Amino acid sequence: MASLTLTHLNKTYPNGFTAVHDLNLDINDGEFLVLVGPSGCGKSTTLRMVAGLETVSSGDLHIGDQRVNDLEPADRDIAMVFQNYALYPHMTVYKNMAYGLKNRGESRADIDRKVREAAQTLDIEHLLDAKPARLSGGQRQRVAMGRAIVRNPQVFLFDEPLSNLDAKLRVQMRIEIKRLQQRFGTTAIYVTHDQVEAMTLADRLVVMNGGKVEQVGPPIELYEQPASRFVAGFIGSPAMNFLTAHLENPTTLVLPNGQRLELPQAVDHSGEVMLGFRPEHLESCSPEQSDFTLSVEIIEPLGADTLLYGNFPDTDTLVLAEQSGKARFHSGERIPLRFDRQRLHLFDPQTELRIT
Amino acid sequence: MHDKSVFQHRLLPYVLVAPQLIITLVFFIWPAGQALYQSFLVEDAFGFSTEFVWFENFIYLLSDPEYWTSIRVTAVFSFWVAFVGMALALLLAAMADKVIRGSRFYQTLLIWPYAVAPVVAAVLWLMLFSPSIGLLPFWLSKVGYQWNHLANSVEANILVIIASVWKQFSYNFIFFIAGLQAIPRSLIEAAAIDGARPFRRFWQIVFPLLSPTAFFLLVVNVVYAFFETFAVIHATTQGGPGNSTKTLVYKVFEDGFIGLDLGSSSAQSVLLMVIVITLTVVQFRYVEKKVQY
Repeated sequence: MASLTLTHLNKTYPNGFTAVHDLNLDINDGEFLVLVGPSGCGKSTTLRMVAGLETVSSGDLHIGDQRVNDLEPADRDIAMVFQNYALYPHMTVYKNMAYGLKNRGESRADIDRKVREAAQTLDIEHLLDAKPARLSGGQRQRVAMGRAIVRNPQVFLFDEPLSNLDAKLRVQMRIEIKRLQQRFGTTAIYVTHDQVEAMTLADRLVVMNGGKVEQVGPPIELYEQPASRFVAGFIGSPAMNFLTAHLENPTTLVLPNGQRLELPQAVDHSGEVMLGFRPEHLESCSPEQSDFTLSVEIIEPLGADTLLYGNFPDTDTLVLAEQSGKARFHSGERIPLRFDRQRLHLFDPQTELRIT
Repeated sequence: MHDKSVFQHRLLPYVLVAPQLIITLVFFIWPAGQALYQSFLVEDAFGFSTEFVWFENFIYLLSDPEYWTSIRVTAVFSFWVAFVGMALALLLAAMADKVIRGSRFYQTLLIWPYAVAPVVAAVLWLMLFSPSIGLLPFWLSKVGYQWNHLANSVEANILVIIASVWKQFSYNFIFFIAGLQAIPRSLIEAAAIDGARPFRRFWQIVFPLLSPTAFFLLVVNVVYAFFETFAVIHATTQGGPGNSTKTLVYKVFEDGFIGLDLGSSSAQSVLLMVIVITLTVVQFRYVEKKVQY
């Protein structure tokens, strides 16, 4: 177990493309850190630099107290689970799990004990003699996990390990990964583009975009206080709504339909702003109390909740409202809605940063 | 109407396969049948008398020490052509696979020798190794070695092996590099994290995954060394000095068209056919069973 420190980490490819730009992160011992972002945001590159599969262009990378920039992957005492599992197809499950131990020169008896222990933990003892081609997706995933835990490394690295599984199995394995990590207390870095996976697994979440860190923090903090429009739109499902609005004075916001909103706190900004509000923070109310009326175009009944889509009045901005699944709606209905005043997010339209 | 369209459809498949069938019949089945028939005959050189002798040609052949010499020559020759050709191709493929900048350029250059006609390849190497005007013997003489493949049977063998390998390694190279590129990068990376150094990664991860390719190439190379190196040998050593480079195929040619012993030559062809059939069967068996790991 170890902490990790990434200091001014940069990755520039020979063709001049900068994949990671000045990344600074402190990862605590035993922490489950999730890197999340759209494809091409630099999250996988960051993970691969930690693993030693990509060279570091500049900056420092420490595992524990040791600077590992120039160490071979094998010497960093890490284990990695790959998206395609990367099981050795010509070896049995047992040999797949034993390979890393064998290369480290452990005794046959030790290897056997550790492999069987790990197999028991993951409930794959009955598969030890099978070759990967015979296994299902979920079983391969378990073997890949087994290959990681059998070495008892300082750090677990996960590169989108669940994206090849079907939805049901993904949820199941997600829970299992979390449970294993808690049981072993090993520091883990987990890369995903799936924000639900990110939210459910992370102790702390790092949202990346365009090679830069947008925000770091516990999942709830990112949900409640997104630092930028990007984070606001990326975290939370269904995604946040955005509207262009106008600040008349530090406490009064004018919506496109002419409605005025009194803000709970004065803000340090004037003129045009980007208003963000989550679908779940719109409540239906009486017409007198409402901030706007949504003419419903599309209804998505999900059971527990119902999602309503329609344009915000006097704009062509599509707005999504999440309502309780108990109420019944029909297309074309006009529903008066009210914002939760405590949960409005304002962003600067130029910098896209949060306005407080 | 209905009948006519059925009639058209029924004929069309035969018409479409006919060209291939005709080629196979005229250039393979018929000559093979002829060879089989002739292998049971003894004819004089001018074709005046023909006698049906059953297996006498085969019995005579298998008790002829010269034939066994030729088998030994072919075995040694095939081993070296296959081994050197594949090892060289694997080495170059592994290196070309690592090249990032201009990889197409290297790969194209390495494929070129395959496009050269066997006789041209042979003449090229013959000139390079020519004891009187060749560049390589000239260089070898500088370090005190007298190269003369016209007199030295080992050197003659080296010459035909080099020329044959040079002609064939491009083919091996294409298959090896395709095989290497088909191995997922993440496997190599996983092995690197698992603590395997490059050398060990190659032999324990990459090479086993290439083994189906390697086995396929082994069969192809042996067949190549047996049958397709005739032109190389004919253009360089003509089987000499002595009989030191007279492979089975070359002996078929020499006994048949120079010695005019058509019966024995046909019997040798039939034996070669048996060898090829065996190799093909082995290959198909293996491909079916072992390719999926």
